[in-house]
Amino acid sequence: MESVIVVGGGLGGFTAVQQLRGRGFAGRIAVVDPEGVPYDRPPLSKEFLAGSIDAEQLLFVEPHWFAERGVDVYAAAATAVDLPDAEDDDGRVAVTLSDGGRLTADRIVFATGGKPRALPVPGGDLDSLLVLRTRADAEKLRAGLVPGARLAVIGGGLIGAEAASAAHRLGVEVTLIDPVDPPLVPAVGPELAGRLHAMHAAAGIRVLAAAPSEISVRDGVHELAFGDGIGPVSADVVLVGIGIVPNTALAEAAGVEVDGGILTDDAQRTSHPRAWAVGDCTRPRLGDGSPGRRAEHWESAMHAGTAAAAAMLGQEPPAQTASWFWSDRHGVHVEGVGDMTAGDTTVTRADASGNVQAAFRLAAADDGHRVVGAAAVDGGVAIRVARRMIDRGTAADPARLADPAVPYKQLLK
Amino acid sequence: MSDPINIGSVDDIPPGEARVLDGDDNSTGVDISVFHAEDGSFYALDDECTHEEASLADGFIEDSQVECPLHAAAFCLKTGKALCLPATENARTHRVEVRDGELYLYPGEPATTQA
Ligand SMILES: Cc1cc2nc3c(=O)[nH]c(=O)nc-3n(C[C@H](O)[C@H](O)[C@H](O)COP(=O)(O)OP(=O)(O)OC[C@H]3O[C@@H](n4cnc5c(N)ncnc54)[C@H](O)[C@@H]3O)c2cc1C
Ligand code: FES
Repeated sequence: MESVIVVGGGLGGFTAVQQLRGRGFAGRIAVVDPEGVPYDRPPLSKEFLAGSIDAEQLLFVEPHWFAERGVDVYAAAATAVDLPDAEDDDGRVAVTLSDGGRLTADRIVFATGGKPRALPVPGGDLDSLLVLRTRADAEKLRAGLVPGARLAVIGGGLIGAEAASAAHRLGVEVTLIDPVDPPLVPAVGPELAGRLHAMHAAAGIRVLAAAPSEISVRDGVHELAFGDGIGPVSADVVLVGIGIVPNTALAEAAGVEVDGGILTDDAQRTSHPRAWAVGDCTRPRLGDGSPGRRAEHWESAMHAGTAAAAAMLGQEPPAQTASWFWSDRHGVHVEGVGDMTAGDTTVTRADASGNVQAAFRLAAADDGHRVVGAAAVDGGVAIRVARRMIDRGTAADPARLADPAVPYKQLLK
Repeated sequence: MSDPINIGSVDDIPPGEARVLDGDDNSTGVDISVFHAEDGSFYALDDECTHEEASLADGFIEDSQVECPLHAAAFCLKTGKALCLPATENARTHRVEVRDGELYLYPGEPATTQA
């Protein structure tokens, strides 16, 4: 392998580049992304939206990092990918760029991420509705978050909750709308989902358990209509945060197998021997060949970029670990690991004020219990311990998990 | 180079834990955390994570690494090397010595092994 093109310079693509160089690959690397120099996304709904960090601080590394390592960054979109015949060992991958350029290489990594899902109601396609996926999205949203402005956030998941919290702190009048009450149960379990969702109302955010049936705009003011006897909501700014759709069109058109995500094995190989795929655009192909669940979290994109780089170089990929995410809102730090929808019982531990701090999801095993998932509010050590218990298959004692007198680290012993 | 500071006995910091020495109490002006690694050795790094604002002393110490409590970047306690994203900048190390069961920190003086 002498050259690699990475399409997409988000976390997955950037990690693949960093790891290829870090693991000794000296060949040509090109990164193609209309966003230009790779930057990190989580702050877009947190510190960057709040204005406490600037665009430069979003960058993974300074621009000269790429030049110093002989990595070419093309600020353009890939519009077509031609893959050689799978059997042709000398064939080249060709990528056409939106600026008319054309690149060729031995291998390609699809790291195209996802795009915000559109709201499937009349008016859900209005140009004035905002989403939050890119730096430009965040800048546009922030420009509207002036004190006294009315913001309607549709979707109370991770991004919606964070944006609502940041906007509220900027003095904006926020209405948070989600038909599911509370949201995030699959991610953190019902105990913590309830506690977290209640923080919005406690902070002074208006919370509506409803789904808008139609959105219209007149003179810059949006009106959100609801079916079931709920009065309309007027908003100057509307943010839609109801999940993402993976960007798979480019790979699909190139003939790579796609099924609700670019299908990959655990070394991030696609169905084509020259093509790898990482991050939010992918969906794992399970051992039995069936498609698994998409990850859509920061750390899994990083792990995927690492695994792809290792596999391309014929090196051993790092050991798999339970998936992990975090979220920050209303001054608390939330983390989750593993799968809170698996297993059969939940054990919780309270913090000093009696609130649920951590929830552990357990599965029965022949010799007791195993942790399969955990979530915590301001309980990072609980999560780091739970992750190791999941990864190592450590036997778990429910009474000790629940007992605040037992330091979390003791649970590993 | 500054004089070493006696920061207490080895027993004051249990294995797998850390203690912060306030910036006002050491010549560097920034908080330094002293870690007791599980291998029994003591190491010191600037307390603030090189990614954003988090105290590494509140991190998860295992083997000779500390994992940041906020976004889980890992640092080598011996060399300060940033071992994974989101950190890309190494942490600054400081020399720590154990003499007669007492811990001596040399603020601003790098540990011998460098990243
Ligand atoms: C606002 C926000 C907050 C988040 N907060 C958290 C959090 O707190 N915790 C957490 O765990 N996760 C969080 N995430 C999720 C995390 O950031 C993503 O999982 C991660 O960014 C996925 O990385 P990726 O490289 O797969 O995709 P992306 O980061 O989306 O990168 C994909 C890149 O591909 C480029 N691209 C797409 N199509 C093309 C093309 N045709 N040609 C060239 N380039 C193309 C895009 O421009 C983009 O830069 C957050 C995400 C967002 C948007
Ligand atoms: S602040 Fe330490 S990893 Fe982000």
